[in-house]
Amino acid sequence: MAQVKKYGFVIDPRRCIDCRACLVACRAENDVPLGATRIWVYDLGVQGTFPNVSQQFVPYNCMHCDDPPCVEVCPSQATYKREEDGIVVIDQQACIGCGLCLPACPYHARFIHPETGKADKCNACLQRVEQGESPACVATCIGGARLFGDLNDPHSEVSIALRNARRVTRLTAPGVDTGPNIYYINDEVDATKLAIHPPEMPAADTFYRRIVIPGVLAAAGLTFLGQAAAFARQLVKGESEYEE
Amino acid sequence: MTTEVLPLSERQRLRAKRIKKHGLANIVTHWFNAFSWLVLLATGLAILGNPNLRIMPQGYVDFVRNLFGGIGRLVEAHKVFGLIWLFVITYNVLLGFRKYFLPFAMKRMLLDKDDIEWLKLKAKHLVGLDRDRPLPPQDAYNAGQKLYGYVVVFGTVVIGLTGLIMTFGYLLPPEMRVLVQWARPLHFAAVGAVVAGLIIHVYMAAFFPEEKEAFFSMIHGEVSALYARLHHRKWYEEKLQEEREYEMRVRLQEIAAREKALEGELVETRGNS
Repeated sequence: MAQVKKYGFVIDPRRCIDCRACLVACRAENDVPLGATRIWVYDLGVQGTFPNVSQQFVPYNCMHCDDPPCVEVCPSQATYKREEDGIVVIDQQACIGCGLCLPACPYHARFIHPETGKADKCNACLQRVEQGESPACVATCIGGARLFGDLNDPHSEVSIALRNARRVTRLTAPGVDTGPNIYYINDEVDATKLAIHPPEMPAADTFYRRIVIPGVLAAAGLTFLGQAAAFARQLVKGESEYEE
Repeated sequence: MTTEVLPLSERQRLRAKRIKKHGLANIVTHWFNAFSWLVLLATGLAILGNPNLRIMPQGYVDFVRNLFGGIGRLVEAHKVFGLIWLFVITYNVLLGFRKYFLPFAMKRMLLDKDDIEWLKLKAKHLVGLDRDRPLPPQDAYNAGQKLYGYVVVFGTVVIGLTGLIMTFGYLLPPEMRVLVQWARPLHFAAVGAVVAGLIIHVYMAAFFPEEKEAFFSMIHGEVSALYARLHHRKWYEEKLQEEREYEMRVRLQEIAAREKALEGELVETRGNS
């Protein structure tokens, strides 16, 4: 494995009380304007019948997938998965804001930033992680529901939590398995209740890949072969003083 | 190329005679456009790094990206180069609209009967049929050049518009981003159509033996009368007509001047007597 580190989140929904301090911390840390957010808490409602009732809150953000479909659709590779630690980031300068990555994400983790007009999402607080700190949402979580760390390191907090967990769930659905790197532990999370959808490829993108690229390559290839043949014939024939 | 044989003395005379084909404005615009295309194509192909869309090898993509300092800088540079290109081309077209563009569009671009015949016969020639039948006389640009002219003109419009949409797409409301998504394949398709023809354009102008003069005519603007007569007969006749009219005017002026001089002499002699 080329990837040395593999950063991921481990979330224990039992410990989440839906206080949404993580949303506030994320907004403050990353200057996310009002009306947009990089992080969510899904309230799955009351489950069970009295007296055995429970309510589940599922915090989530970008899953920093192993096979991110958003990276696959991005034409300029403005969105890419960092080789050194697996965090999926967006180069804001390279992003043209075409929005292809929004429907490609099965988790709706992306949005168009209202101020820059470009794609935006969780970057695992790279600026903090590179300084050896944990992401803002993890640092602020009062119940300790969120953990963050290197999944490849067996001694990291996340690896230990995963080993000791009663149950581990990843949010996958039929036809959707992009290798998400948020692991939900202990309680089972019903992925069907979250609006996960298979990656969508807009018609413009399919048209581009299936029709435009082969068409252009065929046309340019044909004219190139034509002129190459003519040039070869010209060289074989040799030159003369008067060619009019 | 025609099967018609000119006598030696005539050939020599025509070979030495120069005819102006391209004005300075056209030459400067042409080379600006050519240079811009080179830069924009080189940077554009390196932006397409996604394995699903990539045309050039990964090594090339990495090389150009590193040259500019990463994909972000490369995208910015491509946008800036593109805007400069678009501005200069639009400015030149508007500036020379009445002097160059309209006459070019009305007189040089329209296909006539000879052009249609030329296209049919050229297609046959290319597959080796009817080789001994000469091609019909052509205007300043032959039918093939005219067709490619349309590809370039419409290609430039499409590339410019889609480029603007992609450059400033981030200013659009999120629900209109579908425009940016469609601009990408159209931008690429238009570039592809122009490049497919460009390969032939460059070969014909720079290497093809019978068109030897075409390349240098884009530098000093002139072709030999023999080349014009053999390849662009109708334009050659037009130029001859222009020349005859010019000479006629000069001669009339000469005659008028001489008459005036004579009259003056007459008045002088009368005054003296």
